[in-house]
Order: sequence, then structure tokens, then C-alpha cells
Amino acid sequence: MAKNEPKILSFLCNWCSYGAADLAGVSRMEYPPNIRVIRIPCTGRMSPKFILAGLRQGADAVWVSG
Amino acid sequence: MITFKLNGQTVQGEEGQYIIHVAEKYGVDIPTLCNHKALEPAGMCRICTVELFDGRRSRFVTSCNYPIWEGMEVTTDSELVREGRKLIVEMLLARCPEVPAVQKLADDYGIKEIRFKKGDDTCILCGLCTRVCEKMGAKAISLTGRGVDMKVDTPYHLITDACIGCGACASLCPTGHITLDKINTEHTNLNTQLIPSEYEMGLKGRKPIYVPYAQAVPNTPAIDRDVCVHFKTGGCQICTEFCGVDAINHDMEDEIVELEVGSIILAPGFKPFDPSQFDVYGYSKHPNVITSMEMERYLSASGPTGGHLIRPSDHQEPKKIAWFQCVGSRDLNRCDNSYCSSVCCMYAIKEATIAKEHAGENLDCAIFFMDMRTPGKEFERFYENAKEKHGVRFVRSRVHTIDPLPGGNELSLRYVTEDGKAITEEFDMIVLSIGLETPPELVDLAGRLNIELTPGNFAKTDSFNPVATSRDGIFVCGAFQGPKDIPQSVIDASAAAAAAGEMLTIARNTMTKKKDIVPETNIVGERPKIGVFVCKCGTNIAGVVDVPAVRDYAANLPYVEYVNDNLYSCSQDTQETMAQIIQQKNLNRVVVAACTPKTHEPLFQETLINAGLNKYLFEMTNIRNHDSWVHKNNPELATEKAKDLVRMAVAKVALMEPLIETELTVNQTAMVIGGGISGLTASKSLADQGYETHLIEQNSQLGGQAVNLFHTAQGDNIQQRLSELINSVEKNDNVKIHLDTKISNVDGFVGNFTSTLSSNGSTQELEHGIAVLATGAAPYTPTEYDYGKNPKILTTLELDQKLIADDPMLKKLNSAVFIQCVGSREPERQYCSRVCCTHSIENALELKKLNPDMNVYILYRDIRTYGEKEYLYRQARETGVIFIRYSLDDKPLVAAKDGNITVTVTDHVLGRPMELDVDMVALATAIIPYGDEKLANFFKVPMNEDGFFIEKHAKLGPSEFATDGTFLCGMAHYPKPIDESIAQAKAASSRAVTLLSQKTIFSSGTIAEVEPMKCAACGVCVSVCPYSAPAFNEEGRFAGKAEINPVLCKGCGLCVASCRSGAIHLKGFDTDQIFSQIFELEEAI
Amino acid sequence: MKNMLEHTGIEPGRLHFSWISSAESTKFVDVVTKITDEVKALDPANKKYVKTEPKVD
Repeated sequence: MAKNEPKILSFLCNWCSYGAADLAGVSRMEYPPNIRVIRIPCTGRMSPKFILAGLRQGADAVWVSG
Repeated sequence: MITFKLNGQTVQGEEGQYIIHVAEKYGVDIPTLCNHKALEPAGMCRICTVELFDGRRSRFVTSCNYPIWEGMEVTTDSELVREGRKLIVEMLLARCPEVPAVQKLADDYGIKEIRFKKGDDTCILCGLCTRVCEKMGAKAISLTGRGVDMKVDTPYHLITDACIGCGACASLCPTGHITLDKINTEHTNLNTQLIPSEYEMGLKGRKPIYVPYAQAVPNTPAIDRDVCVHFKTGGCQICTEFCGVDAINHDMEDEIVELEVGSIILAPGFKPFDPSQFDVYGYSKHPNVITSMEMERYLSASGPTGGHLIRPSDHQEPKKIAWFQCVGSRDLNRCDNSYCSSVCCMYAIKEATIAKEHAGENLDCAIFFMDMRTPGKEFERFYENAKEKHGVRFVRSRVHTIDPLPGGNELSLRYVTEDGKAITEEFDMIVLSIGLETPPELVDLAGRLNIELTPGNFAKTDSFNPVATSRDGIFVCGAFQGPKDIPQSVIDASAAAAAAGEMLTIARNTMTKKKDIVPETNIVGERPKIGVFVCKCGTNIAGVVDVPAVRDYAANLPYVEYVNDNLYSCSQDTQETMAQIIQQKNLNRVVVAACTPKTHEPLFQETLINAGLNKYLFEMTNIRNHDSWVHKNNPELATEKAKDLVRMAVAKVALMEPLIETELTVNQTAMVIGGGISGLTASKSLADQGYETHLIEQNSQLGGQAVNLFHTAQGDNIQQRLSELINSVEKNDNVKIHLDTKISNVDGFVGNFTSTLSSNGSTQELEHGIAVLATGAAPYTPTEYDYGKNPKILTTLELDQKLIADDPMLKKLNSAVFIQCVGSREPERQYCSRVCCTHSIENALELKKLNPDMNVYILYRDIRTYGEKEYLYRQARETGVIFIRYSLDDKPLVAAKDGNITVTVTDHVLGRPMELDVDMVALATAIIPYGDEKLANFFKVPMNEDGFFIEKHAKLGPSEFATDGTFLCGMAHYPKPIDESIAQAKAASSRAVTLLSQKTIFSSGTIAEVEPMKCAACGVCVSVCPYSAPAFNEEGRFAGKAEINPVLCKGCGLCVASCRSGAIHLKGFDTDQIFSQIFELEEAI
Repeated sequence: MKNMLEHTGIEPGRLHFSWISSAESTKFVDVVTKITDEVKALDPANKKYVKTEPKVD
């Protein structure tokens, strides 16, 4: 993996952002391939521990989207 | 099969294939400008040149039209090939120096300067256009001339009948040499345009094969026969060559299907009014005059401009936008629609607010209106916020002249303000708030079905049967019943379903089929054996992501026993194969890497069930929508991403456990609280659908507020219809009426409620499966306008009583005044009571009927006779009722002295106070909710700040609560007239029957569960849950600890995140499962 | 959360929150692109926050 390709750990709400990501695909839009998606049932499920764990595992950034 | 060498690698292809196709299959990229999968190759651009070694010597061939043969050796990227291509590109660039596609190639091949004589052509003579034209069956263009004079042209360079204006040449042209303009000027007189997208209001083009919009159901593409070239010429059919599953069949014909049905529901909707027939607005002349529907698209994030607000003439950001209300509504002069379209005021305010949010504070939004009609739930507050917080300007005026200004962008408006000042103002854009209309084809349909229509061409219904048409068994809902907004349409829809259900009760479950169930394998204690299926989705995934590489990668992940790739994982035969493999290999966990779980998870879970596996031993990861489709120019990183996603899914699925969907028996009894019109209707509807219903009323008689009412807006005699309704409920064996009864306690949850009923000191327990809250509302008792000090000052409800009693004093009145908005639309009660304008006008007309010489005044703020109630307003004006507008800060004054009443009001036209000596003042008082907190707590349902219950969803769930098993209707939801209350009562019953008709219900498996040993009983989960699922355990070993009701839990995880002691687990999304996904990230770094 | 990260020496640019409705695909793409660009501008994390065993001399 190239050095300048950061990994962004993404927590996407099943009903909102995950759907938006699906639609972005259907619409054949393009965006950088750096996000790694974890589907969560709702942003209410998010715990700060997930964010810290992600960074500790070496993610360059964490993105939470509802 | 032919075997040969490609760049040293041994590859295979079919007899007759060309080199470029085999190369593509093996992921070897060969540049080309003239090749197209569906067209015969021509070898025109020559960029696809490769080096061929035939065993003796090397030579150059064009790979797009050179067939493969056994033993050949092909090199696609040798130094010589690159040099050769570089020269070709340089010559192309010399011919067409300004063409981006050629410039990009030149860049790729490092061409800095052109050594040949530069031309200024834009055509590279690739011949795609001529070949596709022939394929279309047209043959309108060909390559003409020879050598340097060769060009693409029509015969004799003339406009030709052979051109069908399909635009295929323009769409394939790689350089932009052929455009629609060129076709229209040089090829044909057909004036070819993009096919306007209906969904985007023609602001964008669409293809002949299209999905109408992103959320369309079914979400499969359709071919538009009217524009598809194949149906015109018999040619083309390119689509069939691209479809990997042979789904396209051009020979399909329309079928006539006969169905035997017990009832019909009409929900055909409306057509937005077409303003192009009005010269005065210049809609068809000026690009910056648009309709509100077009504005919706401009404001939409997925619209033609991506939500960027522009004015159409020059695509600049507008600074001032004006909305014109009542275009095609409340207008008898220009069109025949004299009704109010009900929705336009609210959507105009919404659009203005969103426009300001998009474009910022400096955008000036002005709404030109006659009466501002925001009588819906939470609408008045929205209106006030638009005015006060967002600074939307509201101008009470009809603009009489629009003058386009020189330059073609701005428009100058002339209008007269209320106080008579003439104003000229410039705007960038005008939005016409167009109304709702029944299109002529629906009028025809109504004729064929033999149902009556109203004067406005809506289906005729009566107040007590608001969804029944004039013909038995045919029901109607939505805007075909009358112009209405989404919540009201949804209410109607459920009501129509209930009305149809009442008729069809005996036929219920007579045509159902039963499914075979495969017994579930017990996998507890087994080591995970994971099967990974990677989907190619035709070329949708495989075209970008290296699927075999992902598959092989997955094979080496921990616990993975089986891997495979499928062409289409979702196809019927693949599903069967998957089920077989799961059984043969004894797999106990499955990962599918394919498209989105939002649409396909249930399908694969079904496969698991068919293979005897618990459906939760499954994880789906999205390598299409989230990967191949969005990273098509980055196949390498897309493949990396797919591997990461698969690894994360494998890690998670290993931790998945079989989950149980709790089964719950539903008590088939219903309880309805409130014996008014809504409660009575809901009870009758539930009883008619075969369910035992208990109707609870706190008073000693049924009827609620309706006992005080005289006529409905349609003139129905309320007392007569009400007693008929009460009678039918009392006679219905399925209804048990409990008068003088209150609820003193409620236990339980959906399907299993136990309520304690208290009546005259005695209590009784009632077990029921669902509850409908129809508790109604009460009239406001005014403290203003000297109410109570003089018998001639009364409320409109008291006037109704006099009308019912036919009080002789009414005939003797010489003058009467109605004062509107008494207690409504006040700062402390910021809502409109919805019914009062119509009610007062109805009563005013009644008074005029009793004594035509009576002077009747209505003092109002905005007249809100929405829908076809507008006819009453017109009738009142024609009959001589005088309407005088007042404002909130200058209310009328009522002075009663010695039996005489003087009302002083500032006339809005003259701006001067007017004194009216009147014999009677009728106050149109607000409707006040009971705000019964105790009841709300019993059922764990919320109330808004005014005290009305809050429904599950303002638009899509208006007749039910978020808490399962509880429903609402009538004025407890919001003030509404009788027809709307009845519709909502039927809607609540319809929603309730969806539960009652199932003997048992299943919870989802992905729900939260408390580990009682860890629970600290802090109660955070109980307070945060929006669905009231957690509660404190009252008895047993874990008394005092929280417990989550699996049936109520929606699996959102809010309680899990908020639990301080980590006692709550969300099955399927548990902490360790999410952590496992996070931990898999490490390897990616 | 951002404050906490800053306290521990992690740049706030490494944590992003957003709200996107399921119809807002354009916004989704904009946000992903923006975040990726911002993160690329930061130094690679280079596992610098990865938990390491304390060194024993």
C-alpha cells in the first residue's frame, strides 16, 4: 500500500449515510478509495471506544456519519 | 479454445475473438478510440496497435480487429509498440490539437510538441458514428471523400430524411465533433433534443432505458418504447449485448390481465398545474420563471444542479427570488380551479427556507400571497420561524405585471401593497406555486368506473364516509379525493385500506399459501467454518475489482473453509447452489461480498434458512455500491479495499451467534379510548373487521364534541349522522362500551396489554392486544372580548347549539360579527385550529339563510378554507358576508354597554378604525388538547409542547405511535374537521389490524439484551430509548435491574452506547463484533 | 471527543462527524473527498498511536 493512501475508518448509520453511500454507487459517482466502512444500526450505537480503538489500530482518521 | 501468449503469459480465448477482447478479460489494458463492444471493429484509430510475433517475424497489428490464433505471441506494451503508438497519437494530435481525449493520450505518451503541420479538425475519423448509425438502422452518415479529404458526412452534405435524430452518433463520438446542435443543423430537421427526464422536470436529460428515479419501486430499468430506436427502425439492440443475464426482450407485449377483486382503491394522484397557458406569468417565455416543482429539483441535493441554487438563464446564483401563490388555484378568471390546493403555502415557505439555507442569509426570498394557509400540525410554527428567524418576506398582494429587463436575466414586478402603494421591484427568479389538478385521463377513468366527481373534478365522498366513492366497493385516497398534503394522503390511504378490509373480512386469509420450513441446524460450540462468496455482478464488480484475487485472498483468512466467486450471486440458480454448498461443506458462517445489504441481505438470509442455518450467521459486505462503482478509475486500490472489507466481514461473522426471533402471541382484542366521532369510528371499523373492541368513554354519553355541532362543511346534518353512528356501534356485538370509565393503570406491551378500568369506584382489568388513543380535545373558554359578560357574546359552538335548537332569536338579529382566531395563532398557542374559518363561514351562511338582510361580518387574520372548502368562502362573499382582516397586534375591540355591543376593528384597506354596532358576537375559539400526561405515561407515548400527541412520523406515520401496538386518531393528534377525524380513525384501525391479523408476531433477532449481573440499575437505558423497550424488572431474581422487551426493541443500539456498566449487548452489532472489524484494520495499515 | 483527542496529542483532523440523509449521495461524496484530502494533508499516522508494549531496559 502506498504511503500517501491514508485509511479512514468510517462508521455509517444503516439508515442514513450507508444509504447515501449506496446511492452514490448507483449514481456512479467517484470518491477516493480510502474509507473502510463499518455498518452500524444507528449512530446511537457509537461508542467513543470505537473511535479510540480505530486510531489505536492505526487508522489515519475516524469518520462517524449519521 | 485458442491458447496463445499475451505479454509472455499464456492466455486463452474463443475462436473468432479479437486480441483486444481477450486482453480485456485478462486485465491487460490496450488504449483505443474507435473500438466499441457492440460494433464491428474497424481498426480506424490504430492506437490499439500491438506487436505480433508469428514464430518467424514481428509485425504490428491493430488488436481490435485481429482475430486470435493458436500459438501466436502478442506484446501490448513493448518499447516498439509504445513508440509506434506515440507516433500515431502525435499525428492525431496534429490533426486535432484541441480535442481533450487526444490531448490526454498525448500526455500519457509524453508528447510535448508536435512535429507535423497542425490542423484544426475535431474529427479523428474513428468511424464510431458511421458504424453506430448503421447499427441503428439509419445509415444517414458515412465516411465520404478520400485521403486528406475524408470526412463524416450525410449524402451530398445535405439534410437527410435518413437521419432519425436518435443522437447515437453524438453519444459515441469520443472527441465531441458531433453534437446535438450539429445533428440539428447539418443532418436533420427533426430538432433532436435530449429526452427530458420526467422526474427532473425536464431540467436534465435521460436515456431511453432508465430508472425513473433513484427510489423507484421496482428499481429496475425500463425501456421507453416511444423513444427507443429499436422500436422505430428495428436496429440497435445494443443493450442486449451488454446485459449479462439476457434480461432484455424487445418482443415483450402488453398483456391484459383479468383479476377478480372484492374492492378497488383509487390512488391515482394529481397533476401539477401547467402554468404555460397563462400569458401573464411569462412561464413559457422567460427562463427565470419556473414552477415550484422545478424549484424542488433545484433545491434537491440529488437534483440537476446537485442542490446548487442557480437562475436558469445564465446559471448565476440568484440574489432575489419571488414566489407567486395560488397559480392555478383559487382562480376562476384564468382557469377553472376555484378550489384551494391546500399544500402550496406550506411548500412555498419550505422552499424559501431551504433556499436561504443553501444560498445564505443574503438571499432575499419574498412570497406573494392572498391568505397564508398553514393550518397543519406544526405548520404555524414553521411559518413564524420562516418570518422571524429566516427573514422570509411575506407580501400580501397579487403581482399584476411582470416585465423582463434587458439582458434577459432579471424581471421587474409591479404590485400594489395592502395600503395601496404601487411598488416596482426587481427579482432574479420567479417561482410559480402551482396547484394540484385532476388530469383529463382521470376524469375519463371516473366516467368509466361510474363514480361521481366534485365541481373541482375530485372523487365525490361524504363527510362521514371520506374514502368511499359514490359507488359501493370503490374507495379513494390521496389527492384524487381532494387536494391534500402527504400526512393527509397517508391517513386516507390507511383509511381506504380499512374500508376495503371491512368489506373483505370474510375473505381474509382464504388465498394464502404456506411455506415449507427447513429445520435449523444447531451449530453451538462448533468451530467457525466460514464460506465466502465473492460476487462479480456481471462486470459491475469484476470490471474494476480483481474478484479472483479477492476470492483467493479470502481463502487464507482464519476459519475460512470455502471460497468461490459467482457471476450473479443473487440469481435463482446461484442461490440454490449456495444452499447446497453450505450443506455439503457443513459451513456454519457465510460472508457474501457483493452489493448492498440494504436490498439483498434478506435474500441471502433466505438462502441460509433454506440451507438450515440460522439467518444471523451471515455478514454481507458491499464491494459494489461502496467500491467498484465509485472507484472505477482506481482498480488497484478498489481491490485493496475489497480485500479489507472482506477481511473485516470474515472477522465479524466468526463472532456471530445464532439469534432467536422471539415469538409473541397477539391478544386479538382492541381497546379504543375516547367515545367521540373518532373513537366511535375506530371501534366500528375494528369490530367490522372481526375484532372484539372495548370502547372506553369517561363521560356518561357517547359522541364527544360532535354533539355540539350543527352541519359539516358539505352540509351534512351532524346530529342525525352521529346518532346513526352511535346506534350502529351500540348494536355491534363486537363492541363493548364502557361509559363513565377511566384508565387507572396500563401494563404490558404490544400484543399483551393489561389495563385497569375504573368506573364509579369499581375497577376491572382488561387484556387487549392494541390500543387506539382517540381522546379528542376541548374548546377554549375565552377570557377576551368580554366573553361571559353578555349573553350576546358567545362562542361558535354555542351558536351551533342555537342553530340545532332552531332558536327564534337568530332570525331577529339585524347584525352579527364573527371573530376568528380566538385563542389560536397566539404566541402562547402557536397553532391554527384548522376548522374555525370553515365553521364560521358555514354559520354565517346559515344566518344569511335565516335572514338575508342580516349584516354578517367575519373578522379574520387569514381565511383558511383549504381544499374545496374554498367554495364556501366564495359563496359567503357572493351572499354579502363582509370579511374584514385584522392583525395580531391590532385586534378588534368588543364593548358591551346597556345591551348594545360595539365592535371596533381597523379596516385593512382604509387603515381606519370602523365601529360596528351588532346584535351578536360569535367567537371562533381555539381547540385545546387535554394534554393528559397520565395517559401518555401509561402508554409511554410523547406529547408536543401544545399538548397534542406526537405520532410516529409526521408524514409517513400519522396514525400510530413509535411505541408498537399504540395508535392515535382524531383531535388528540391535531384539530381537524369530522371527515378528517373519520379518515384518521379508520387509518388507526387499519394500522392496528396489521398487528391483530397476525396471531403471533416475531421480534427481530438483532436486538439489545441486558446482562443483569452487570446492570447497575441506573435507568439511563430506560430514559434514552425512543421505543420504551427497556424497563425495570419488577420481580424475580433480578428485580430492580433493567430488562429489554425484545418485541419493542428496534435494535438501534442507543442504550448499548449509553450503558455505563457495559451490561447491554446488541446482538448482531455487539461491541466485540464491531471491535473485530476495527481490529482487522491494523493489517491494512 | 475532539477535545479529548487533542489532549492526548491526536490532531482533531483525525476525527470527523457528519450527518447525511440517505438521499444525499452528492453530499456523501463531497464529505468523503473533503475528509480524505484533509487527512492526506496530515502526516501519515504511521501507527504512532498504536499501542506498544512498554520497553523494559
